[in-house]
Amino acid sequence: MTSDTDAAIADPIAFQLFRHAITGIANEMALTIFRTAYSGVLKNIMDYSTAICDREGRLAAQGLSLPGHLCSIPVALKATLAAMDEPVAEGDVLVMNDPYSGGMHLPDIFTFKPVFVAGEIVAYACAVCHHTDVGGRVAGSNASDSTEIFQEGIRIPPLKLYRRGEVDRTLMAMLESNVRMPDRLRGDLRGQLAACRIAEQGVQALAKTEGAEAFVARLDELMSYSEILTRNGIRNLPDGEFTFTDYIDDDGIDVGKPIPLVCTVRKSGERLVMDWTGTSPQVKGAINNTFSYTAAASYTAVKTVLGDGAPNNDGVFRAIEVIAPEGTIANAVMPAACAARGLTGFRMADCAFGAMAGLAPGRVLACSDGGNTNVSIGGYDAGRKPFIFVDFVSAAWGARPWKDGLEGNTTLFANMASYSTETVESENPVLITVNEFVDDSAGAGKFRGGVAMRRDYMLLEDEAVLSVRADRQAFRPWGLDGGHDGAAGINVMNPEGEAKKLVSKFTMTMRKGDVLSHCLPSGGGYGNPLERDPAAVAEDWLDDFVSTETARDVYGVILTPEGAVDLPATQARRAELAA
Amino acid sequence: MTETAKARLAIDIGGTFTDFILEDAGGELHSFKTLTTHEDYTKAIATGIDRLLAASGIAVDGIGQVLHATTLGSNTLLERTGAKTGLITTKGFRDVLEIRDLRMPRLYDQDWDKPETLVRRRWRRVAGGRMLADGTEMTPLDEADIREAVAFLKAGGITSVAVCLINSYANPAHEIRAGEIIREMWPEVHLSLSCELLPEEGEYPRTSTCVINAYVQPVFKDYIARLKGLIAAKGIAAPLFFMQSNGGLTPAETAAEQPIHIIESGPAAGVVGASILGAATGTGTMITLDIGGTTAKAALVQDGQPGMATEFQVGGHVLQTERLLSGGGFSLRVPAIDLAEVGAGGGSIVARDAAGVPQVGPRSAGSNPGPVCYGNGGSELTVTDCNLVLGYLNENSIAGGEMVLDRAAAVAACEAQLAAPLGKAPEEAAQGVFALGCMTMIQAIRAVTTERGQDPRDFAVFAFGGNGPLFAAGIAETLGCAKVIVPPAPGVFSALGLLCAEIEIHKSRSFRRLLDGAAVADAQAALAEMATLAEAEAQRPGGRLTATARMRYAGQSSDLLVPLGDPAALTEAAMRAAFTAEHDAVFKFTAPEGEPVRITAIELCYALPVGRLDPNRRRLAREGAASTQRAFFGAAGWLDAPVIPRTALTEATGPCIVTDPDATTLVPPGAVARVTGTGSLEIVLAAKVAAAAEDRQAENA
Repeated sequence: MTSDTDAAIADPIAFQLFRHAITGIANEMALTIFRTAYSGVLKNIMDYSTAICDREGRLAAQGLSLPGHLCSIPVALKATLAAMDEPVAEGDVLVMNDPYSGGMHLPDIFTFKPVFVAGEIVAYACAVCHHTDVGGRVAGSNASDSTEIFQEGIRIPPLKLYRRGEVDRTLMAMLESNVRMPDRLRGDLRGQLAACRIAEQGVQALAKTEGAEAFVARLDELMSYSEILTRNGIRNLPDGEFTFTDYIDDDGIDVGKPIPLVCTVRKSGERLVMDWTGTSPQVKGAINNTFSYTAAASYTAVKTVLGDGAPNNDGVFRAIEVIAPEGTIANAVMPAACAARGLTGFRMADCAFGAMAGLAPGRVLACSDGGNTNVSIGGYDAGRKPFIFVDFVSAAWGARPWKDGLEGNTTLFANMASYSTETVESENPVLITVNEFVDDSAGAGKFRGGVAMRRDYMLLEDEAVLSVRADRQAFRPWGLDGGHDGAAGINVMNPEGEAKKLVSKFTMTMRKGDVLSHCLPSGGGYGNPLERDPAAVAEDWLDDFVSTETARDVYGVILTPEGAVDLPATQARRAELAA
Repeated sequence: MTETAKARLAIDIGGTFTDFILEDAGGELHSFKTLTTHEDYTKAIATGIDRLLAASGIAVDGIGQVLHATTLGSNTLLERTGAKTGLITTKGFRDVLEIRDLRMPRLYDQDWDKPETLVRRRWRRVAGGRMLADGTEMTPLDEADIREAVAFLKAGGITSVAVCLINSYANPAHEIRAGEIIREMWPEVHLSLSCELLPEEGEYPRTSTCVINAYVQPVFKDYIARLKGLIAAKGIAAPLFFMQSNGGLTPAETAAEQPIHIIESGPAAGVVGASILGAATGTGTMITLDIGGTTAKAALVQDGQPGMATEFQVGGHVLQTERLLSGGGFSLRVPAIDLAEVGAGGGSIVARDAAGVPQVGPRSAGSNPGPVCYGNGGSELTVTDCNLVLGYLNENSIAGGEMVLDRAAAVAACEAQLAAPLGKAPEEAAQGVFALGCMTMIQAIRAVTTERGQDPRDFAVFAFGGNGPLFAAGIAETLGCAKVIVPPAPGVFSALGLLCAEIEIHKSRSFRRLLDGAAVADAQAALAEMATLAEAEAQRPGGRLTATARMRYAGQSSDLLVPLGDPAALTEAAMRAAFTAEHDAVFKFTAPEGEPVRITAIELCYALPVGRLDPNRRRLAREGAASTQRAFFGAAGWLDAPVIPRTALTEATGPCIVTDPDATTLVPPGAVARVTGTGSLEIVLAAKVAAAAEDRQAENA
């Protein structure tokens, strides 16, 4: 008897058992970090990823993690291995955070632990965590207005943090004396190392049951499996080429100068290329991407549109080619600053979705809020004790071609959680005065985008440094197929007082009682608003998601004072607006 | 006679069946099972009470207690059949309930929708006034706003109101005042105040918990009134207790006020029963595994104590295996037995993906049409069909012999849908499905063991539910566990668990202090207050008090749950030592001696026995005729396996198949099964049997 399963997978049942086992190990790594982490960035925002790579450094299995980290680990591991000038031994742990040695931005510290079976490396246990602070000129190491990497914190080139089980005290001391909160760095690194140790044990046990060679072969199968599913999904998309252009407002240094992002998707048969040629040269501000982040944005858009459920590994990367010319904002070179590159990554994911929407209309959502955005407030209290409050928010989806976009839900490039207001207030000299949706803010359409979210922060200490990284205050989230654009974001200082409008990216001094009001953009709409079900408009009106005026002038829906649809008046109004 | 010297009646309402167990004054058990009457649960209960009393010959005045577990809460949330609920909250925070923590349980899924909120935005009203985190008032409560909100909600036909104001855990004055205004303006409305239900930091979990209470409270009040009426009408004059998600019982009157504690009551009862029966056979440490037709649920019991969670999610259709991907349901922050669930059971459908790789679940054929072998029109291959192909199920022993399974149909489905495409023989393919089923269900076990830093090999597997006993040995072998325990009446075991529980009232509050002597004294004072509240809710004095604290090192951003024992005996040194020990156990390291330790919350448990099942009674022993069938065991091939009714078993070596009226236990080759003093079946797996034999040889030599 012969099997009709793809020839790349010898025994589908044994394969599936292995897949469960290895995925379980990668997930357990992620849970270990979640359990043992010290800082809120890891615990609440889950800005970390775990993975098991094969002995060549290819991603084989990934733990639950941020889409933005999709291919960062193998890129970083391969670069780190290439940079080693001595052999990797059992008990070693490699460490690295340098964007120009395969990293992303300085707060993301990678650790890699080789897993040995019978004296040979069979895999690497890998973890990357966003650390709260890695030094540099601004607390949180996240400033968007740095102009070269040397301002952004301590750079760790590929090094051994442990040699045969012994920590390198010189390196640890250097790290600890260059960050603002060495306890947190130590605590989070400890969690990261615990995760690698747990994976080492798990992989060794699995490799023992399977046999080392069979284990390596199964890792190959796992990657082939993803490649089969991904190529299968690509085959089902229409062939063609589509270029989508979008703009970042500016880099915060050359204020008001738009930064073009250009993504071309080329698809033929089971081959798909995401090409960023034409994208802006790298910029002065700290929003430059390294290659892996650009690739992650591209993979996220394609994977989401394919919806094939292929496990994240090298097989996906083999099936989707990403081109990002060197020296651009999509693939920066020394000494570009990149601490706030998250912004560009999110915007690139949206841009990649735009390209996919051109290739496969009706299968892709409209533009989301462009976040996450970042607000950092840091300083010293009266007792000279440092505080750092770092908040990331993203919350509004573009409309889906088949239903409304979500509000109050993390966007597709991240899966970040927001802090509880009460926790923020009990742990920081910061008061949250508003945390709610913005009325009547969604991008209109047959299906509307998610409404915008607003969060206001009041400082209770005498003085602090406020650093904001936001965008889409000039270029709004786009609608699709006749859907309207979403609302722009806006930053305002003291909305209840002088109400001074601020730019999208800045660092400034904040004083006691100052309130930063931060409105995110809303999601773009899908389809002509005049085709929206009038009953849905009426429901939104009851919830203050649309105003009487928007209902009348954008949707052409006339409502009675109680909120019922006046159908004849609506028909007349719609005819009038359509004309 | 006291209530505990009389018979005790346990009723467990499940999705498909309502199970009854009556323990008479002499300790004998009588059971009954009937279909759940979803339109009115009390119908099935009335039937059950009549049938059991008639069968046991017990008079109505011989019943001393009625114990109850029900899915009413979770169904109300899943089906959105609760009260029309309004929410009053702080100005600027209208959407806390809908923003949640922003997170979603699915990645790369542009079709994802959040569970529809229990209170739509139009019924969420705001009021001015602000407390700070340290409990000081920044802005006074705007009472006019409250009055306006009440008028609006009243006009809108709302019947239940939740109030949750920012920082009310630190100072509840505004919330209490808002409650007074509501009561004064609207005496008949159902009212839930967050500061009474959950005086803890975290506005989303507190709002969500308060809203859930408001949403289900009118439903429960009505149900409990009807149930009490029914019991009284039957002539039974006995107190009614409900099983809580935390595994303890609570008086019906308390449950009606705070139904948030009885949302997941059925699954908790099974775990409590397991902990008592396990301890009675000297196995205080185990993984409980409850496998039904569509899901497998796992929990951990250590030293006789079920593992607890402080928060879980309800009302979503996303299962609780992936601990990192929250957002599938509504946050409910009450203590609960820590259960993990995966969508795999007997009815799970076996399908192949685009790469030809087979997958077990999460789609299920359910009970209608059910597996192919039921002959009810099911055409997709299920796990149960594969078990029949393997000879692990007996065609004639299902549902007490009332149902005959179609083996030929199962073999044909297995051949066509799986074996032929894979190029395997049907029994080989079916064996693969069995292994995959085990592996899938193991995810639930991992969630409560390895993910909590526990090694599953240290535990016995305690299996119940219709499919638990069939998979238990396979799962235990895969995990490397030594032993499997299958209790008596595995199919109605949750009802049995009710008879094992104590009253337990849990209280918690935020308590943010650095650990020092003064903090300990203040904590003790707060715990004493909480004990008074708990005693009133328990409606009985004299309970045992145990304290727990949530603690962390000062720089950390998450808490450990630290058991502290008797609150009266607390000292600073003891609290520090307890925390350090817990930290070391979970994280495998401790910070240097001087590192400051922070307390964030304190909890109190008030526990009181109300009569407990004597587990050391062998019950239901009867003769039964054994037969034999062929069963397939991988490399060992087809073997003859005796089919033995549980009542006729004393000891047997596998392969063999032990049948109960509502479940089948598989004893794999080389494993030894014997019946213990509790009437449980204990299976020692082959690897362990061999190891023991080696030990004996070594001793003899």
